[in-house]
Amino acid sequence: MILLRLISWPYFRKHVLRTMLTIAGIVLGVAVFVGMHTANQSVLFAFSQTVDRIAGKTELQVTAGEAGFDEEILEKVQSASSVRVAVPVIEAVVDTRIKGEGSLLILGVDMMGDRGLRDYDLDSGDESVIDDPLVFLAQPDSIILTKEFADANHLGVQSRVALGTVDGEKEFTVRGIMKSSGLASAYGGNLAIMDIYAAQRMFGRGRRFDRIDLAVQPGHTVAECEQELRTLLGPGLQVDPPSGRGQQFEAILSAYSMMVDISSLFALFIGMFIIYNSFAIAVTQRRAEIGILRALGATRGQIRWLFLGESAVTGLIGSLGGLAFGVLIARAIAATVGSLINDVYGVGHLADEVAADPKLLGIALGIGIATSVVAALIPARNAARVDPVQALQKGKYQVLSAGENRLRVVLAAVLGAVSIACLFYGGSRAVFYVGYMLAIVAALLLSPLLSLALARAIRPVLKWLRPVEGALAADSLIQAPRRTSASVAALMLSLALVVAFAGMARASYDSILGWMNTALNPDLFVVPSQNIAVRTFRFPSSMGPELAAVAGVSRVQMVSDMRIIFRRTPIMAVALEVESVAQTARRTPVAGNEDDMYRLTAEGRGLMVSDNLAQLQRLTLGEMLEIPAPYGVIRLPIVGIVVDYSDQQGTVLMDRTVFAKYWHDDTVNVFRVYLQPGSRVPDVKQRILERFAGRRVFVLTNGELRAYILKITDQWFGLTSVQIAVAVLVAILGIVNTLTVSITDRRRELGVLQAVGGLHGQIRRTIWMEALSIGAIGLMLGFALGAVNLYYILQIVHRDIAGMRLDYEYPVSVALALVPTILGAALVAAIWPAESAVHGSLVEALEYE
Amino acid sequence: MNKVLVVFASFVCFVPSRFAGLRTIEAAADSARQIVAESQHRTEATSQRYEGLLQVFDAKGKIADKRWTFERLGSHGNSKAVLRFTAPAEVKGVALLIVNHPDRSSDQWMWTPAIERDRRIALQDRSTRFFGTDFSFEDLEERDVDQYDYTLAGDDTAGGALCWKIESAPKRTKSSQYTRSIVWIRKDTYALARIENYIKDQIVRRLEYSAFEKVQGIWTARQLEMTDLRRSSRTRLTLDKLDYNVPLKDDDFTLEAIRRP
Repeated sequence: MILLRLISWPYFRKHVLRTMLTIAGIVLGVAVFVGMHTANQSVLFAFSQTVDRIAGKTELQVTAGEAGFDEEILEKVQSASSVRVAVPVIEAVVDTRIKGEGSLLILGVDMMGDRGLRDYDLDSGDESVIDDPLVFLAQPDSIILTKEFADANHLGVQSRVALGTVDGEKEFTVRGIMKSSGLASAYGGNLAIMDIYAAQRMFGRGRRFDRIDLAVQPGHTVAECEQELRTLLGPGLQVDPPSGRGQQFEAILSAYSMMVDISSLFALFIGMFIIYNSFAIAVTQRRAEIGILRALGATRGQIRWLFLGESAVTGLIGSLGGLAFGVLIARAIAATVGSLINDVYGVGHLADEVAADPKLLGIALGIGIATSVVAALIPARNAARVDPVQALQKGKYQVLSAGENRLRVVLAAVLGAVSIACLFYGGSRAVFYVGYMLAIVAALLLSPLLSLALARAIRPVLKWLRPVEGALAADSLIQAPRRTSASVAALMLSLALVVAFAGMARASYDSILGWMNTALNPDLFVVPSQNIAVRTFRFPSSMGPELAAVAGVSRVQMVSDMRIIFRRTPIMAVALEVESVAQTARRTPVAGNEDDMYRLTAEGRGLMVSDNLAQLQRLTLGEMLEIPAPYGVIRLPIVGIVVDYSDQQGTVLMDRTVFAKYWHDDTVNVFRVYLQPGSRVPDVKQRILERFAGRRVFVLTNGELRAYILKITDQWFGLTSVQIAVAVLVAILGIVNTLTVSITDRRRELGVLQAVGGLHGQIRRTIWMEALSIGAIGLMLGFALGAVNLYYILQIVHRDIAGMRLDYEYPVSVALALVPTILGAALVAAIWPAESAVHGSLVEALEYE
Repeated sequence: MNKVLVVFASFVCFVPSRFAGLRTIEAAADSARQIVAESQHRTEATSQRYEGLLQVFDAKGKIADKRWTFERLGSHGNSKAVLRFTAPAEVKGVALLIVNHPDRSSDQWMWTPAIERDRRIALQDRSTRFFGTDFSFEDLEERDVDQYDYTLAGDDTAGGALCWKIESAPKRTKSSQYTRSIVWIRKDTYALARIENYIKDQIVRRLEYSAFEKVQGIWTARQLEMTDLRRSSRTRLTLDKLDYNVPLKDDDFTLEAIRRP
């Protein structure tokens, strides 16, 4: 502690800028980790909180995926001896049409029994209206709002509110206002209560419920009740506590969480190299100081602990800054993630509170400090090994020894070989990820050698460009490989991340485009909601013939899609008129015979599954699938595996006859409409809109649907772009740091240059060229490591994230765009150090060291 | 007589109390159960019809009115009834079908014309308030006397008349929100005079009968008042245009029938 105060503190005070840059590396790394995870957790928490608040006293819920189930299930549940009260629920997210309010979560309940589970604590309104379900039930336009929503929109009892319904926009009458607590605070207060039977009609749900909430009869345990209901209802209906819905949502978010983890890890890794660089330079610069301390009796251990202590303090300060910054940016990220989740999954939620989890903050703090300490381990060890006599002499301490080089090469070769071996035995998840880590570590071990080699290789070029400045710049890099290589390593890592994510995005785009070209080729899509992921509204199947009768329409295909639970994972089930689809949108299977696949599926004798489902659930062609449905368990073989991107967790495709049999549901989510030759898309679209005027009908052209899907894809990759931007920023900080250190390190050299007639312009150009060289070397190594990293990222996407089989395609255009970006950034990063070098005191510079 | 039957008898069906010439009061009074059975016996009618006015007085003194027509067909514990709201306008047309069974809880359905839907009122919901009144759905049920145990608790007066005070408790096989009830039956007419319903040891509802009148030979209370002692609110039911043994058909007591306007 005394050493920290007496030795370290004055050093940091003297090098404020460098200290700040070092800390900034940790700040950004930790901020990305905290920001992304806090946002993720907040979205998840908001969803869970909404589930909890809506659940009230609910102990168990009966569900059957998004499609729901027939009303008759309710009586079965109510007849169970262990059930005290069981009430049906419909949930729907609708657009309020009120500016700034977004969507409103409608909870359709049976008010007669529901008060046994939920407390509708009224703030105002005619008490008898709510206490008397008769009025509430007799008038289908009745809704109850929360006080928060009502106040914000100047609504009172008997006010009218317009909401979208399956029959178009309808006016509802506010018949009660709930106090802002408990249930009313769910979904950020954007909650409305409606009679469940009115809701069925408003949202086109037929005589179906989304789920049943229930409480257990006193004298029975929840487990007993769960068991009784499972036996009573069969495997097609899920019986879980309300928290189970949170777990399903968590599974949906897991893909995104994994990407966050990977890029956060990279960001911290990059930060680690900046710290390593700073400490390595500090040890070098303070050799004389270390020598004196050692001469005065300080032990090696004390010197080591001095530097580790400094790194811990740096890590602590950086981490605290990162925590604050991370929490600050979490709100913006949460809004983006929330919007993405809503668009992609149609899952309504509002993350109105962004509260950082103390555990997460603790972990981030620990990671920040640990990263800093680990980064300082080698410099601290080197400092401890300094010989007091040699330390007081000047020497080429930056040079890498031949022995050290050999050791690195051998180690890198061994790790590289092991990582390749891991690929061959990559069946195990752990082995695969260990292999990935080893590949990165091998590249990092080689980076000083490669930096040095590349610096030597570009020296003639630099010298040819500017004989004096070029040679000085190149020599500076060659003579201080440790200083250079850390920055290069940081840059290499960030560029490898950029290349991998860009490659993944490009491959995803290409795959999605290919899928859209074959599977989504109708001219028009008739949908009940602008957001195709929202399945709140459904069409009756009777609308199909009406559509087919519209002039210019040649073929209409009905599609029902809904998320179901398969092996405790939410996946997408798509029911199609397979025979018709086989004639218009045939897909080449990844596995299976194309003709047999369509024939057997159309006959209801088989199922097709998406390639990503097969991968994620380890399914094979011919395997007998068991899918629990409300009216029995579907037991059909997999007759084809096709590329399908309807859902990240996977898709099972079946004929509509199978869907009708096992779900007792013939409602439609999407009508695929093909036009007659010669018919114009805008004309037919207009005719359809006119034919169904007054009803909730949206018609998307093929181009509009494609644009919608690509927009969602962009949103998805937009989030990772933020992380990439931070990674690049951290790397640029590394360059600034390196250059600042380089200038400080070479003050005397630069002073001598000026003293012997070196011009300011020459000094500037030297530093600029040095910066550009670091950028160029970083680019070369980054592109190389990016190629490897892209392979691993595509494997991770295939294996663990979305099961997508993406083609390896190096993102050349992105790589080309990175060249001017990084070189430009390097040049900008060099401006201040260059100016500092030319405007510094010559006397002081000559006295340096 | 069980308290549910009592409530039902007085509140909805108005099963009348009339003297049975073949039995003597003394004979009927031999036991609590006999008294209850006799009271029930004196209310026998093949059918009935009336128009009711419900007035709910909440704790703040606010009054909400509802009007309905009521028709009932069948014998005690094995009857059907249809209750159709006529006012106010926002509830007009809403109907309730009750099918009573002698050996189990009744089945109840509600028809909502605005959404053209009928819904079954689940057994679990029978303890909830009957459409904002101080009665519960369970209070609409008509049950057999054998589903309860009775104890004669002595004599008392209610509404100025001398009564038997009888305690009834549901048998183990009977599902009820109430733990027990105390029933006052007038000694002069065997008509119900008061019922107090308890949950555990707390009295929760009290029903008072008044304005007795002999209609077609059956002693009938024209006014009933239920007080919810937990909410401090009360509901008064006034009967009008009451007729017994009117010609009604089985077909009028089906789900299809209540769907008709």
